[in-house]
Amino acid sequence: MAVPIQHKSPAARAVQAWFNPLKRSAGFLAFVLMRITGIGLVVYLLIHMVVIGNLLRGPAGWDSLIQTMKSPWVLALDVVLIAGILIHMLNGLRVTIIGLGFGTQSHKGIFWTLMAVAVLLLAYSAWLVFTK
Amino acid sequence: MRSIEEKRRSGIWIWQAVTGVLLVILLSLHMIVHHFVVEGGLRTYEQVLAYIGNPLVVVIEIVFLIVVTFHAMLGVRAILFDLPLTERQKTLVTRALTAVGLVVGAWGIFLALWLFRMARMA
Repeated sequence: MAVPIQHKSPAARAVQAWFNPLKRSAGFLAFVLMRITGIGLVVYLLIHMVVIGNLLRGPAGWDSLIQTMKSPWVLALDVVLIAGILIHMLNGLRVTIIGLGFGTQSHKGIFWTLMAVAVLLLAYSAWLVFTK
Repeated sequence: MRSIEEKRRSGIWIWQAVTGVLLVILLSLHMIVHHFVVEGGLRTYEQVLAYIGNPLVVVIEIVFLIVVTFHAMLGVRAILFDLPLTERQKTLVTRALTAVGLVVGAWGIFLALWLFRMARMA
């Protein structure tokens, strides 16, 4: 059974608020996306550092791993990774621009425009990942 | 007048923004070079050595590693500091993330230099 939110610790409540469907403003969505993609990218960074350690095993270790990496399921995960990078990168640029005092009045428009750019770049990247 | 805590937060925000902007360039370069230029999307062992045998590439990859690790650890710290932590817990978080960052950085630099040496010997 689900634990009512008021009985949870302050930390759990803070994290649960990220997924609250009632808080649907563009600013809040940007904040949540930034955090979720950020955590995902840090996890990926740590996994990536372990995986590239296979280079120490020479061509036998690395090239067989590369064959596994070319399977459609791993390529699909690559597209998820690129989605995370694009959302985090473009959103981060928006936060930096607004933090410097530019475009504060039109931050929602900037957010949706950059997310549209992210979708277009993701579509192009996915095409490259699966066709090259 | 701004408090020490506000000055510290603003200093961290500037570091996060500067490393973030650098990453836009370095990560785009890394993704294009490693995943979109080579036929098949990923480099074989021989192709990795041929690429990293260039000293400029080693320097760029090491700078990228340091910047991305620093940015990642600052980001995790910011997320954790939004939780209701005590001062002691905040100190522990900072120390733990510094240690993780140093281990990741040291491992990546070792790997880059080892591959560079292998490339030069080949």
